[in-house]
Order: sequence, then C-alpha cells, then structure tokens
Amino acid sequence: MAKEEQFDFVIVGGGPNGVALASYLGKCGASVCVLEERTEAGGSVDNVEPFPGVRLTPHAMYMYSGPAPGFEQLELWKYGFRMDWSPMSENIMSQKDAGVKVSDGIASISEKDMMGWAKISGVSTEKPYIKELLRSIFWTPPHPAEVEITPDNIPYMQVYKQHDPSIWTEELLDMTMFDLMDEYLETEPFKVMQAAVAWYSGAAGHWEGVAIPALGCDITLTLYSGLSVPRGGMHDYFHAIIRSAIANGVIIRTCCPVDEIIVENGVAKGVRLRDTATTDENTIWAKKAVISAVDVRQTFVDLIGPSHVGASLLRKVKDISLKGGSIWVSHLITKEPLRPREKFKTASMSEPGEVGGPFPCDHRDIYYEHVADVDGRKGIPSVPPERLMWLATQSKRFSDAESQCTVPGWYLESPYYVLVPPPEYEQDDPITLKNEDFRGVRPNTVDAQKEEINAYMRKAFSLVLENLDDDLIMHLANTPYESEFRNTGLIGGTWCGTRHCDDQWGENRPVPELARYRTPIDGLYLCNQTSCHPGGLALMAVPYNLMHILIEDGLVEPGDWWYASPWYIPESGKIPANKNGR
Amino acid sequence: MPIKPDFLFGKPFDEFPDVTEWDVIVLGAGPNGLIAAAYLAKAGAKVCLVERRYEIGGGLATDEVLFPGYYSNNHAIYHMMVDYMPVMQDFDIGKYGFQWIKPNPQTAAVFNDGQALVLSHMVEDTKDSITKFSFKDAVTYGRLMRSWKKIVAEILGPATYLPPMLPIEITMAMQKTKTGQEMLELVEESALDIINNNFENDRVKATLLYNCCIWGLDPRETGVGMFVALYSDRMTNKCYCMGGSHKFAAALAREILSNGGIIIDACEATKITMEGGRVSGIETTEGRILKAKTIMSTLDPHTTFLDLLGKENMPGDLTEAIEGWKYDKWSYFTVHVATKEAPRYNCDDPWANDAFMNLVGVEGTDQLLAHWDNVIAGKIDPNNFAGHATCESLLDPHLVHSPYGGHVSFFQMHAPYDIEGGWDKMGPELEAAILEKWQKAAPNMTRDNIIRTTHETPVGIERRFPNMRKGGIKHGDYKPIQLGCFRPNQECSSSATPIPGLYTCGASNYPGGAVLGGPGYIGANKVAEDMGLTKWWKPTRRMEQYVETYLDSPLGGLG
Ligand SMILES: Cc1cc2nc3c(=O)[nH]c(=O)nc-3n(C[C@H](O)[C@H](O)[C@H](O)COP(=O)(O)OP(=O)(O)OC[C@H]3O[C@@H](n4cnc5c(N)ncnc54)[C@H](O)[C@@H]3O)c2cc1C
Ligand SMILES: Cc1cc2nc3c(=O)[nH]c(=O)nc-3n(C[C@H](O)[C@H](O)[C@H](O)COP(=O)(O)OP(=O)(O)OC[C@H]3O[C@@H](n4cnc5c(N)ncnc54)[C@H](O)[C@@H]3O)c2cc1C
Repeated sequence: MAKEEQFDFVIVGGGPNGVALASYLGKCGASVCVLEERTEAGGSVDNVEPFPGVRLTPHAMYMYSGPAPGFEQLELWKYGFRMDWSPMSENIMSQKDAGVKVSDGIASISEKDMMGWAKISGVSTEKPYIKELLRSIFWTPPHPAEVEITPDNIPYMQVYKQHDPSIWTEELLDMTMFDLMDEYLETEPFKVMQAAVAWYSGAAGHWEGVAIPALGCDITLTLYSGLSVPRGGMHDYFHAIIRSAIANGVIIRTCCPVDEIIVENGVAKGVRLRDTATTDENTIWAKKAVISAVDVRQTFVDLIGPSHVGASLLRKVKDISLKGGSIWVSHLITKEPLRPREKFKTASMSEPGEVGGPFPCDHRDIYYEHVADVDGRKGIPSVPPERLMWLATQSKRFSDAESQCTVPGWYLESPYYVLVPPPEYEQDDPITLKNEDFRGVRPNTVDAQKEEINAYMRKAFSLVLENLDDDLIMHLANTPYESEFRNTGLIGGTWCGTRHCDDQWGENRPVPELARYRTPIDGLYLCNQTSCHPGGLALMAVPYNLMHILIEDGLVEPGDWWYASPWYIPESGKIPANKNGR
Repeated sequence: MPIKPDFLFGKPFDEFPDVTEWDVIVLGAGPNGLIAAAYLAKAGAKVCLVERRYEIGGGLATDEVLFPGYYSNNHAIYHMMVDYMPVMQDFDIGKYGFQWIKPNPQTAAVFNDGQALVLSHMVEDTKDSITKFSFKDAVTYGRLMRSWKKIVAEILGPATYLPPMLPIEITMAMQKTKTGQEMLELVEESALDIINNNFENDRVKATLLYNCCIWGLDPRETGVGMFVALYSDRMTNKCYCMGGSHKFAAALAREILSNGGIIIDACEATKITMEGGRVSGIETTEGRILKAKTIMSTLDPHTTFLDLLGKENMPGDLTEAIEGWKYDKWSYFTVHVATKEAPRYNCDDPWANDAFMNLVGVEGTDQLLAHWDNVIAGKIDPNNFAGHATCESLLDPHLVHSPYGGHVSFFQMHAPYDIEGGWDKMGPELEAAILEKWQKAAPNMTRDNIIRTTHETPVGIERRFPNMRKGGIKHGDYKPIQLGCFRPNQECSSSATPIPGLYTCGASNYPGGAVLGGPGYIGANKVAEDMGLTKWWKPTRRMEQYVETYLDSPLGGLG
C-alpha cells in the first residue's frame, strides 16, 4: 500500500495562487502535486448555492486581474474562460454620470476630477498605458536584495517616466493616495470614494508611500476589468485556472490537509499529510521544491516549526500585521428589488439593483473615523451606522442570462462588504490550532452578536436603500470569524491576510528576508497572498512573479510562451528569467 | 453573440471563442455526462462537456446548504454500484486523493419503542439483528441473500453496463442457468409480494420494503421484481465518497481534462441545431455556438427533445413517445441540520448509531404503504411519515468548516412535487414535523443542539437542476414501460436516437437513475463504435462472464 510518491514540485494549498503556479509549472513540463485541505480547491474564490437558485459569493467577487499575463500564458480562454461584460465597463464617463453618494444625496463629479483621474490612471494619453502601469505595480517581482531601490528602478516610476513624465516626481514615493488625489482631483467626495475603494482593495488611501499601489488597487477594479463579472462568477475564473493546470498534467488532491513540511538538513524534502487525508500514502516527496501556497504564519509556525526556523524569523513572522482586512459580508434576500432612495437617484442609477458603493463619501473624516475603528482596535464595530463606509455589488452587474437569483419572488443583492475590526478570540490564536481542535472553540463576542450586527449593518445600508427593512426575507452573512474557519488562510478573518502598507509591500513583503519568495530553507518557496508581493486579490500575480525566481534557481525552463516582466531585475549569479529575450 | 464592450483601453484578454468546433458535445456534467466525456476524451475525441450550473457534478453535489461553514451531500450520497462500475477499473482516480468507504452497519431502522434493526454489509451481522425479531426471518434473509447476491453479481450488476435487451431476449437468455431462472421467477412478482411471501415479522418486512422502494420502485407493481434482489443487495453495499460526492465528479472531470477534453460551466444549452438531417451543434444562453456532428444529451427527454431539438426536427412517433414520458411519481423533501452533537438514537442496539443510514418512522408495512399512498396522492400526513437520515460528518471530517464545530446531518423523505397546500407553506411545516419526529428517535436532537437548519423541497430540486423535472431524481418514473429497453423508449434506449448524431445517455436512459454510471458508459461505447474510435478500455471481468454465459454473441463490439 505505502508507495513512495515523488513529484518535482509539491504545492501546499489549492487557492488561486497555488493552483495558478501549478499550471505554470505543469506547462513547463514539471510533475506537480497540489494538496488542498478543503473539499474543493479555490481558496477564497468560491461560489455557493445555499438555497436552490440563490448563488452567493462569500468572498472574492470582483475581477481585478484583467492585466494579468496569466490569461495569455496559461491560455485561460481555452478552458472556458468568459466574461459577462456589463455595460458599465464600456464607458468611463458613465461613472461620472453616476456621481458619488454622500449623506444627503449625490455629489457631482467635475470635469477636472475626470481629467485628473484619467491622467494618473494612464488612460488620457493618446495610447493608454494603464495596462503597463498595473503590470508594473502587481506583475513584477520585487528587486533582488543586492539592488538598491531608487526612484528610477521602481517599476511604476519607470512607467510614468516613459509614458507621462509630467506625473513623475520623486515625491510620489512619499505620498499617500489622498496626497496624489489632492494634486490632480478637486471634489472631496470623489477622492473619498476612490480612497475607500483602494482601502477595500489592498493598499489604503491614507497609507504613506503607497500612493501608486493604492491607486492601482482602485483602478484595476474601477477602470479595467473589475466592473464586469466572469461568467459563473470569480469561481469560474478559478475553474479556468484549475482546468488549465490539470490539462498541463498537474495532480490536484482535495481533502488533503498538510500537517508538516518535511525539512532535512535545512532542505525541504516533501510534506506529510494529516491523518484525515483521503490518500493511502501520507508522505509525498518533492524532487525540486516544496511551495507553500498557504498563509505565512501557518507555514512557519505550524508546518515547519521552531526546530527548523530561527527564533528571530519566527518572531518576525508572528509580528506581521494582519490589520485592515476583516470583512463582514452580507447577502440580502428581499421580496422586492432594493430601490435607492429618491435623493440617490441619478441618470445612471435610478433602477433597483443599481446601488453600488461606497457610501458615505462626504468627507475624508468619515473615512478616517471608520479606518480608526477598524485598524485601531479589536472587537465589534463602534462607528455610528451613518458613518460606516460600505461597499455594495450591484446585482445589475450580472447579466439576465446569468443572474444570481432565480427564485420567483426573491431578489438578491450580494455581496455587501463592510470592513470591521479584527475579531477577538477567546482562545489562543486559532491558526495555531489544528483542524480537529476547531470543534468546540467558543464563538467570540462578535459572533454571539451576529444578528445584532447584521441589524446595525442594515441600518447603514438603509440610509441609501428605501425598502430594505420592509422587504427583507433573509440577511445571510459570513463574519470574518466564519470566513477564517471556512478558509484557514484568511488569518484574523482578513481577506488579504497581511496588510499592504509600505512596510509589507514589494521588497518588504511579508518581511524583507522572504520578499523574493525564497526562504532560509532550501527548496521551500512561498506563493500565498499573505507571504508574497503583491499580496491579496486573485490576480495570478504571485505565481507569475514567483516563476521568475524558480527560473533563476534553475528549477524550471519555460518554453517560448513565457515572457518576463519588463521591469524585472535578475539576481546576480542566477539564471536570468528573461534570457530568451522575453 | 455575447455582448462585448468597446474596450476603451485595449482588449484585456482573450475569451472562449464565440464559435467553436468539436467532435463530441456532451450536455450536462452529472455523473453520466462526466463518465461519457471521460471515456471519449481518452479515446482521442475532441470533447466539450457543457454544464448549465456554475459547478459540475449534477447529482454529485456537495454544497454549503447550511451556509456558512457546513457542507452537505444534498443530492446523491449513497453510492450503490461502486463494486460494478467499470469506471473504477478503467480510471486511476485514486491518484486525485479520492476514496470510497463502505461502512459495515448500513441501514438501521429505529422503531418508535426503541427497538432497532440493523442491516449490515455482512449478512451474518444482519441475521443477528433480524433474529431479535424473528429467527425464521433471519434464516430466510440469509438464504434469499445468497441467491439475490448471485443474481446481482452474475446478471444485474454486469447488465447495468451493457445495452438493454428485449424482454423476450432476456427470458430466453435467463433460461440458461439456475441463477437466471431464479431471477425470472422474481420478475413476475411485486416487491410487496416478494417480501410478504417470504417474511413474517412486520418490522422486518417494512424495513426491507423501504430499502427496495427508496429509489421509486412502486411496491405493488408487478413485472419488476428483480429490483428486489438488486436493491436488497446494493442497499447493503452503499459506499460513501470521502469529502463528499462532488469529489467523484471532480475526479472524473480531471480525467476529462488531462486527456484533452474541455469543460465549460455556467453555460446552458438552449438549442440543438440541425444541418442536412444531422445534428450540427448547440446554442447557449449567452449566444455562443458550439458545433459538433455528435451530441450526447444526459438531460431529461422533454428538455432534450422538446425544448432543445424541437418537434420540427423529430419524427412524429418519437414526438408522441417523448410527450408520453412520465416524470417521477415522487421526489424528495430533505431537512439539513448543523448540530453541536451528532444525533444519538435511543434504541436497544448502539450499532444503530454507527449506521450509514437510519430509518425513522418506518413502523410496519401498512403504515409505510399508507405514507407512500399519501405521497402519490399529493399529501403528507404529519402524523404518519417515514424517512431516512444520515449524519454525514460522523463518516467524513471534511464537511465541517465552522468556528462552531459540530456535525451535519440530514433527514430525507419521499414527497410529492405538487403538494396540497403548496411547498411555501408545507416546507416549514414539514421541517418542524421532521425535527419533532427525529427528536423522538434521537432525544439529543433538541432545539438547543441545533445550530442551523434548512430544507430543500422537490421544487427546489428542480430549481437547482431544471432537468430533474418535477423534482424527479431519476429524470422519469420507474414503471415497466419506462424501464429496460423501454427507457426512455425503444428507439433511444441503447443511446443512439432516430436523429442522426444525437445520443441520449442520462438517468432517463437504460438502466436508469442514481449514480450507476450505466447510461454514460453505454453511451460512450455506442458513440465510440459509431465514430470508429479505438476503445482503450475492456469490459469488466463480470461483464465478460455475463456475456459469455447468457448471450449468444458478444454484444455490440464490447471488448
Ligand atoms: C471577504 C473577501 C472578499 C474578497 N474579495 C475579493 C475580490 O473581490 N476580488 C479579488 O480578486 N479578491 C478578493 N478577495 C481576496 C482573494 O480571495 C484572495 O486574495 C485569494 O483567494 C488569495 O489566494 P491564495 O491562493 O493566496 O490563498 P487562499 O485563497 O487563502 O488559498 C489558500 C488555500 O490553502 C488551503 N490550506 C490552508 N491550510 C492548508 C493546509 N495545511 N494544507 C492544505 N491546504 C491548506 C486553504 O484551504 C485554501 O484553499 C477577497 C477575500 C475575502 C475573504
Ligand atoms: C435529493 C436527491 C438525492 C439523491 N440521492 C441519491 C443517492 O443517494 N444515491 C444515488 O445513487 N442517487 C441519488 N440521487 C439520484 C442521482 O443524483 C441522479 O439520478 C443522477 O445524478 C443522475 O445523473 P445524470 O448524470 O443522468 O444527470 P444529472 O445528475 O441530473 O446531471 C445533469 C446535468 O445537466 C445540467 N443541465 C441541465 N440543463 C442543462 C442545459 N440546458 N444545458 C447544459 N446542462 C444542463 C444540470 O445542471 C446537471 O448538472 C438523488 C437525487 C436527488 C435529487
């Protein structure tokens, strides 16, 4: 029975990052095995149908990944990848017409706002360069440690210099996104809206030194692919990724939680599965490398452990900041479609199902107040409902042929995202608990008050929605605490695991020693949102970036389909990942 | 054609083309569609499997119906044909981390006075339990099961994967052996007769009857008595798929993909097109066109023929046959619960708590028949109904991902699609009645123990899978004129249809519903033959033996 199993690469974790990497490696001809703990791969890019005809997206909803080289390199179109293009994607000006929602109605957006926004986003030049800009932010590995980071070699700085030198200034590197917007835009609510979108999408609008990454998080959603939904939702985008991986020969095993990354003499040799795994053989060896596509804490604290990781690194890993990403996700089922109140109706937003977010965008004070509540403390939300900034997905985004809800007499608006403080746990940090121990963990105070908090959320939503209370049939929610237990990778209940501030971005993510996906353990690489640049979102960016490193280390040699990031700098003494001139 | 915006900043990426061409299109990614596509892809055909839902699997569904954090097998969970399915020998699906388990205690009836009857995989264990009720019945059970097991092993099991024969052909073939003759004797009787004639204790009878009729066999119907042998044997050989039934679907999908096949989901076929008297492809809701000269449909007959193909493309007698198709006489109503503790039945045999399936509310034959009669008449009497329950998380630790921990279970019962009072009203009422009855049998199923509940009605089943019309779990009723070579009708039951290039191979085809894998396998064989593909697979040893023993000539090139 116990047969020795060997693959070139063993990947721990079947989320979008692990599986996309698997597909890349498989395409290079390597033998690859992905081990996923849950019954289905996909990580937090999943779909559920709790009631027949009601399809919810508990986590990832928006398509940020439009510029990814992976679409082309992994040929996702072959594997059924399709979009349901929304008319909203068509015209940037429709966003202007929609205005911005503030407490007492709609604030209009000025011509200067639109011009300024278009300029910094790289869409106002004769040949728009937004795709290059976004690729330089997300789809480029951090520079090697030996390279001094200067305003001239930071990828997005190079892009601005090349395409629109009038934007380029060294000060960009010290700015917050608000600073940047103060320079190019004029209407406060418009700026607040963009900052809030950025905060909900990665780097926040007020963080120092990440003005352009924050802008990138915002515009890849609002100007690029994000206003439309992949057909079948984000999980079907994942389907295209996993199907490309399988077609490339990758073996994917679900219900196979990894218990240990086997390290011998400082080299990662393979993995051992938990005894609940649905395999005959619990040890799987890696000939070339083990790749951890699960969160950075679990990787070092649990799967490797102190006997192979120095105390100092272990402590650094434990100190990685998780703040800024715990989301309370609501799914509202109602008897009538949800209508905006009269004062929120505009030419392009008057119909039910057209209410988006964020709200309220009056002034950055509201933003700061909510930020302080979320990032400044643990516990339950404490800002008054009228100052809670929420983000909603319009059901209008879904085409009629692919609507989220087909139950006659039921209407669904989902998801409504609200950032909340990280939940408080009564027990030890639950990520250090093994799966078996989940049973019997006491619900924390947040969950005990789930219903109460749902009602508080609805109060906030009702400031814009006219008929939510009257027509509510059901308010489903996944709290950060519940999200974390659905997916152990969402440490602290956060959607990104690790926040995208300057101290944890690029060459600093998650800590400088680990920034280029390598670890102090030979043959162990990182490939998860929490442990790698550029972090959260299902971008296929971490795997693309990591590919550069695996090529450098001589572990794979891709064919002609491969091209490296134009801003990538090879590490000296390694095999350059762009040696084929691509 | 699908809508494409004016890409303001350049086209971001390529998508699946608007028009594509394939050797074979398979409609519906349930177990049958997956199996058919897997065989053909590996045979080198360019296959596209098209699925309406956002997820493949059809009846192989494992969904988070108790959202968030609790996964349930909300459709097929009891896999009866794992021992015979050629898929298990032909594909190495274990490499995907795929495992079946077959618990020994299979079905335990818990009666209202706390007595329990445990049907086990091992016959002697079952006899021990029956002895408590009647020594004579225990002996009879042992004797009958020896014969019935043989009938299944030699005939019914392997025949599941071979094209159907005419009744007269079957009669002749079965004369050849003693086992065959024993089967013929059974055929003429109804399930109720067989059980009444052989057993004396009413609780034993009722339990065995439930086992035989759970999938929709009419207890009083004659001419289909072989199902008693089949289900008595197979219902004590139920397997569970670790991680949930969906894993079986995923493993099959991986075989398709790794052999060059393509699967697209969230893609509903709206039309089968014809060209020059042959099928030419399909159209989808979003306006894409997929072309192929061979189309295999696993959908129900009305969907395939009336909705997608259209009467204008069908010969009149086929239209008539299809319009006469009868959907299932009953469907299922299921309550799913997440609880802190697993249900613990208060009964005289603790083994009942380890059983894969528990029967609750089955007390005697008359009472059970009265319940079924009600169901057929469109009613459920809250004071007299019966059902089966399983605590899935006792078998499978992978289903619970909630901070509250605990267990997932369900209680399922036969139920009419058109219920008196309507499902909006009756759903919650029946859920309450079920929880009350369940608590009587398992006293710890209190409100306090329950974290969350939900229920799925026959209307819900149809909403999740419109091809399960009227909530029909097998796409159409089991009655003699819709079984064997008459399923769905004589012209289509071997998979080819009178429409050139169109094949049918779902649960409405011979041998029928449930996760048998028969229709898909038979369909793949037929299509491979018609397309001249080299079959890379061989029939199972049991199929070969069956063909050698009973059939005059090797059938249809199998082998
Ligand atoms: C509420 C919410 C909203 C979001 N919204 C969006 C959005 O709109 N758009 C977007 O692009 N992104 C969104 N995201 C983020 C996106 O889903 C994540 O960034 C992405 O899923 C990260 O991918 P990953 O592969 O790094 O990690 P994960 O998705 O966390 O995958 C890790 C995988 O590893 C598995 N695993 C963990 N431990 C083990 C073990 N020991 N052994 C084996 N397997 C293990 C997990 O089960 C999981 O499947 C959202 C996330 C959340 C939570
Ligand atoms: C509640 C319930 C419990 C059950 N329990 C069991 C059990 O325990 N054991 C067992 O063996 N069987 C069980 N069954 C029966 C079993 O699930 C079915 O008989 C079996 O799934 C039929 O398989 P199939 O492949 O023929 O079709 P299906 O599984 O019905 O698959 C057909 C597929 O076609 C798709 N489809 C529909 N319309 C279109 C279209 N226009 N275009 C493209 N695709 C389309 C559907 O979405 C579906 O995925 C149960 C069924 C139900 C409803």
